[in-house]
Amino acid sequence: MKKTNPSFLNGVPELLVLRLLACREMYGYQIVEEIRAQTREALSFGEGCIYPYLHYLEAEKQVSSRRREVEGRSRNYYKLTVRGRKRLDELTTEWKRVTTGVALLMEGQHA
Amino acid sequence: MPDFIETLRRRLLELGCPMAQVRRLVQEVADHREDLKQAALAEGLAEAEAEARANAQLGDPLALAEQMMATLRRASWWGRHFIIGFGVLPLLAVPVLWVLLFFLELALIFALGYGWDLKKLPRADNSIAIHHLQVAVVCAHYIAVAVLTFCFCWLARRAVVNFKWAVIACTICSLYASFSKGTITPHSFQVGLCWTPDWIVTAIPFLIAGAIYFFQRRTRQRFLEKVAD
Repeated sequence: MKKTNPSFLNGVPELLVLRLLACREMYGYQIVEEIRAQTREALSFGEGCIYPYLHYLEAEKQVSSRRREVEGRSRNYYKLTVRGRKRLDELTTEWKRVTTGVALLMEGQHA
Repeated sequence: MPDFIETLRRRLLELGCPMAQVRRLVQEVADHREDLKQAALAEGLAEAEAEARANAQLGDPLALAEQMMATLRRASWWGRHFIIGFGVLPLLAVPVLWVLLFFLELALIFALGYGWDLKKLPRADNSIAIHHLQVAVVCAHYIAVAVLTFCFCWLARRAVVNFKWAVIACTICSLYASFSKGTITPHSFQVGLCWTPDWIVTAIPFLIAGAIYFFQRRTRQRFLEKVAD
């Protein structure tokens, strides 16, 4: 993630990437663009920084990759694995727990 | 102005990124750059302007290489905890080395047909058999140290941490290995500490680290020459 993203967002990139790849097979540029578009530019990966991250997820067997040619362009496409789906479920549950807790606290402060 | 991709490749190699990783990262960044350029062209920019914008979006290749390496380091336990991994764990690896050595000796004794009965070990008067066993035990010690050192060098490489951490781990392994010893005598074998250092085993970790360093340097050089051609 960009340096401007606060440190409490540690672990969020993994969740975002896995969530996007759960929908369909994608390549790096597409993932960066989708994150930017779907979060309305609230979150963004530094261009190019997503690749070491994807390689890490691949080493952890959470995603798999293959070289594919689409419309004359050859790129590395990534897709979610069974292990990645399990990890996504865990992260989603954890994320919901944290956001619910934070929301409750914020509401309490406003009350 | 030096080529963006070439600068990125060189910097990644300088920072100690493994060759296979460099190939893949550079290929993917080149694809990414092409996508950014195509997006700019689709917006109606001229070729040169599109290229300049793609480069600007990717930023400084040197900074990008640093960020990539930081991400790769953060991705592994050894990369995140390199002080514990390469500064502290080698201290704990010594008991592991001893245990490994002990089992190597046991396996050796078993392989030589003495079974598990220590009383069957060669008698003191059979000096040739004792000598052979002693040589085998010393070799087992050397191999254990070499394997341990190689593991730390490999882990340092895999976690893309600075090579100095591999050297630190090798130094610790060397110090311990030089003062630990496995000996075999009639009816017994021992693993323990001794106060007379074995200079051969002291040198093994440094020889391995040096060999790996020069091998990596030569491979990197050849890779860059090949790419330049």
